[in-house]
Order: sequence, then C-alpha cells, then structure tokens
Amino acid sequence: MRAIGKKVTMFDVYDRAKTGAKVAENDWDYKIVPQTATELKTKYQIKIDKTKIIPEDEQLVNNLFQAGLEMLERCGIYCIDTGRVIKYTRDEILHAIEGAPRSFTYGEGKEAILVVPRSYKDKKPPVIQGGPTGSPCSEELFIPIHQSYAQEPVVDTIVDGVLQTIMGKDPVPNSPWEIMAVRSEALFVRDAQCRAGRSGMGL
Amino acid sequence: MRPSDSHEVSQLNELKIDVGALVVGAHYALAGNVVMVEQMPIFGGYAGGLEETAIIDVATTINSFVMLQATWHLDGPVHVRWGITTAREALAVAGHAARAIEANTHMILGNQYYTLAGPCTLMCLLETAAQAITDTISGREILSGVAAAKGVSTDMFTAMEARMMGEVAHAVAGMDLKEANILLDKLVASYEKDYKTAPKGKSFSECYDVKALQPTDEYLEVYNQAIDFLTGLGLTYWNK
Repeated sequence: MRAIGKKVTMFDVYDRAKTGAKVAENDWDYKIVPQTATELKTKYQIKIDKTKIIPEDEQLVNNLFQAGLEMLERCGIYCIDTGRVIKYTRDEILHAIEGAPRSFTYGEGKEAILVVPRSYKDKKPPVIQGGPTGSPCSEELFIPIHQSYAQEPVVDTIVDGVLQTIMGKDPVPNSPWEIMAVRSEALFVRDAQCRAGRSGMGL
Repeated sequence: MRPSDSHEVSQLNELKIDVGALVVGAHYALAGNVVMVEQMPIFGGYAGGLEETAIIDVATTINSFVMLQATWHLDGPVHVRWGITTAREALAVAGHAARAIEANTHMILGNQYYTLAGPCTLMCLLETAAQAITDTISGREILSGVAAAKGVSTDMFTAMEARMMGEVAHAVAGMDLKEANILLDKLVASYEKDYKTAPKGKSFSECYDVKALQPTDEYLEVYNQAIDFLTGLGLTYWNK
C-alpha cells in the first residue's frame, strides 16, 4: 500500500461522479458488471460448493477477497444520476479498508454495546438487532410490535419497520407526510424501548 | 435519533449509487454519526451466478467504507426467484463474502433476514436458524431481522423470529466450521424443497396477545418444535 494525499470523501466521490467516464446504464448492468465478474471468477479460480455454505478452503477465501477488491478497482461505481463512473485507485481502496472503524458503541447507558470485529471461530456471539427490518408496519400496532422486540432479552438493538400510514395518511415519497412518518418511526421505537425499560437501547 | 444510533444509507444494485445517497452520507459523516451502509446483491440478477454474486458482494461491501465512510456494512444477498436471504445460494454468497472479508480486514459486517415462510411456522424458524448459523460461523458481527414472509406484507413478523435468530447465534458461536457446514446442509435441505408451498403464516395480532405482548400458546408450541428439530441436529443450547 503506497501513501496517498488524503482519504476519499463523499465530496471527492461527488466530483468524480460529475467528471468520470460516461457509460450507458444498460452497458453497465448487462456487460461491464457481469463480464468483469466472470473474468475475475476465472482469473482467481473461484468455485463455490453449495454443500459447504461457509468456505473451508483458505485459498478460496483469500482469492475471493482479491477478486472483490479487483472488481471494485477495475469497475468503480456507476452514478445513475450523472451516467458516469466513479473510480478509485487501489491505494485509495486499501487506505479506506485500513481506516475503517475497529469498534463503535451502539446505544447508550446500560444498554450500550461495544461492537468489535469477530472471527469466524469466535465464541462471543454477534450483536442481535431485532425488528421487522423495513417491513410494512401498521400505525396502530407500531409501538406494541417494537416493544415486543425490545422486551426480548436476547435482542441487543432494534431495527424498525416502516409505517404504512401516519395520522391515517399515506406517507408518499417526497411529500411532507414522508418526513412525518420517518421522524415518527424513530420516536415510536424510542417509546417502545422505554416501555420495555431499555431507554438506552440502540436503534 | 442519537449519534450512537445507526444511520442508514443504501447503495444500489449492482455497484451503483445515486447522488441522493451521497448527500445523505455527507450529512451523516459531517455530523459524526454511526453510519450503516446497506446493500443486497441479487443472486441471479445483473451479477449472474453464485461466484460472480459473491465477488460483487465483496466489492460492494468494501465500497461502503470507501465511498460512504461506513461504520458498518449491512449485507443481504437475496435470491432473484424467491426474494429471500435464506435460500442455499443466498446463504452461500453471504457465507463466502463474510469469510473473505473477515479473513482479510477488520471491517464490521451485518446481514439481514428475509424468510419465505411467515410467522408461527416451523419453516420460518428453520430458515432463520440456517441464516443465523451461516452469519455467526462466517464471522459477522451483527444479525438484523427478521422480515418474515419476504418482508412485503403488513404486520407479518413477530419478535419470536428475532428470538430464534438470537438464540441460534448464541447456540453456535465458536462451533467448528466443518461441523457447522454439515449441520447447515441438513437444515437447509429440510426446507428448500417446500418453497412452492411455503406457509404464509400469521400476522402479529394473530401470534401475540397485543395488550399483554405475549406470544400465543400456538406459537410457543411451534417454537418448541423448532427447538426439538435443532436439538435433533446436535445443538445443545436448549438442553438446560
């Protein structure tokens, strides 16, 4: 990994989205992405045995990582609004990986959890984020449903559902009701956590 | 929302982004929030087959940390035909991508759960268990779910599925990898033949006393059937 001037930021990405190579979206979806992936599958000899859902071959594990890294370096990311490709150098990618957070605190007070990397051999279980995971949720049952997750001892944090209505209105995207709905979701989940006696729980 | 809550922004399928996501991401980054970047690669979609989807899953995961300054990445490889994360192919993509990243970086990874069967069914709980084993033994840090019955119907989910996800994760953490693969192969085989007749299940208000917030006796019985099945496969977590 060679030195770089500074890490990539959202502002750099936006600038590259305006100046990168112009590509037709159909070419991206049906040619560039699948063809590059197939090429890298061959180059790195990636072969998955579906009876071994988790890979046991360390060479396969490392080759897959290298293939994914090269996929990102070679293709970059397509911006659908500008029709241009955002590219990174390999060193920019490697610095971002190296600079990724090594831990973070999820939630507050006695419900706070320190999330740290796990090994596949780790005896420490993962964090359990319980909830409807973006599924549609009725307004009248939103709080009781989320309280039922918060009261489960094995659940560490909540991932919420999506309000189908707010004050009886359809929260149409890009309307004021959408803002009312998403703010209410956060407020209702916090209320549900408090009702379960877990006010510091992460959301 | 507190800074210590996870603030979500999503990438698009496959290896795509919109300017709106960059705007949202810039706000999160400047506010110093915990940032969760989500993306669900599609097996059988633009990527193509199993290996190609796994390669794109690795690339997408890395991109969350390059482009959007993620604190953690929320994955969710999904099967194009069934729209679920618990199909054998979706699990294989998730298991391979997570292990590849876990072995080569310290990036923090989550996975989200979409089952085919609905709440209060054995199949839904076994699908959930299979993914919890996959995620735990491939080194993921956060399990997020469960969106039962594909997460498309109103109130078709309950905390009992989350309980299963959590208890199985606790049951298998530290299990030998080869032993886990044998168990997983049997477990997935037990439900994958039933996709076309997957039970729709019951809604939250049919599964819970909505005032007392207690699951029904019927659901507890189904849950116990799942425990018996998993115990029969060798898990000892519930032998207390």
